[in-house]
Amino acid sequence: MGHSVIGAPLEASPYGIQSKKLAMWLFIVADAATFGAILFAYGYLRLANPDWSRPFAFSPTILNGCVMTVVLLTSSLTIVAAVSAAQAGRTSTSVRWLGATMLLGIVFAALHLREWFAMIGVGWRLFQNPMGGSPLFGATFFGITGLHLLHVMCGVIVIGAITLGFRRGRFDAGHVETTALYWHFVDLVWMFVFPLVYLMNVR
Amino acid sequence: MKLYVVVWIGLILIVGLEVFLTYERLPAGTLLACLLALALIEAALGVMYFMHLKYERPALFWSLIPYLLFALVMMDHFWPDALRLMRQRMPGP
Repeated sequence: MGHSVIGAPLEASPYGIQSKKLAMWLFIVADAATFGAILFAYGYLRLANPDWSRPFAFSPTILNGCVMTVVLLTSSLTIVAAVSAAQAGRTSTSVRWLGATMLLGIVFAALHLREWFAMIGVGWRLFQNPMGGSPLFGATFFGITGLHLLHVMCGVIVIGAITLGFRRGRFDAGHVETTALYWHFVDLVWMFVFPLVYLMNVR
Repeated sequence: MKLYVVVWIGLILIVGLEVFLTYERLPAGTLLACLLALALIEAALGVMYFMHLKYERPALFWSLIPYLLFALVMMDHFWPDALRLMRQRMPGP
C-alpha cells in the first residue's frame, strides 16, 4: 500500500493496473459506444432509404479494403511485438517495432485517402451521390470512415511521441502498453467498419 | 509471440471468409448476420489476446464489457421504426 503526498494511505487498484491504463480502457469503452452509435445510425438510414446505393466493385474498392485490413491487422502484431520488447527491457527493439507500426498506419491512411480521392473524382461528396440514389450514402461513408481515419492519424502521432519519449527514457513500458491498447482499439473498429460499410455495399 | 501470430493469422482468415461470403450472393439479412457474427469473433479475439484482457483481473472485464454491451443494447430502440419505413417502400414500376 502506497501513501499520498499528505501521508494518507492509498488503496491498491482493484484492477491491479496502472491508472493510465485504466483511463485508456475507460476512453476505449466510451469511444466504442460512439462508433456503435454512428454505425447504428448508418444501419437505420440504410434500412429506411429505398434507394440506397451499392457502388463498390471488387476491384479496386474491396481489394483495396482487404489490403488496408491486412495492413491494420499487421500493425496490431507489430505493436504487440513493441510492447513485449519494451516489457523485456529491449528499448531499441521496441522502438523499431513502434516505427514499423507507425509506417503501417501511414500506409493505411495513404490507401484510405487514395480511395477517397478516387471517389471524389467520380462525383461522390458528403451530400452528393453521382449514382442518383440517396445522398446520405456519402454522408455516412465519409463520416464513418473519416472518424476512423482521424483515429488512425491521431494514433500515428501519439505513437511517434511515445516512441521519442521512450527512446529518451522519459516514458516507460507502461506508456507503450497503454498506447498499444488505443492502437488495437482502432484496429477493432475497422473490423466492424469494413464489413458493414464496404462489404454490405458491394454491387 | 507465437500465440499472437496465430491470432493474427486467424483474424486474416476471418476477413477472407467475410469477403468470400459477400460474393456468395446470400440474402442481405443472412449476410449481415454472418458478417456481424464474424466481426464479433474478431473483436473478441482482439480484445482478449492483443489487448490482454484475458490476462487482466476479471474485475476489469466485468467493469467494462457489460457496460458497453448495455449501452449498445440501449441503442436498439429505433430498429422497429427503420423496419417500418423499409416496409413502406413503394414497389418499383
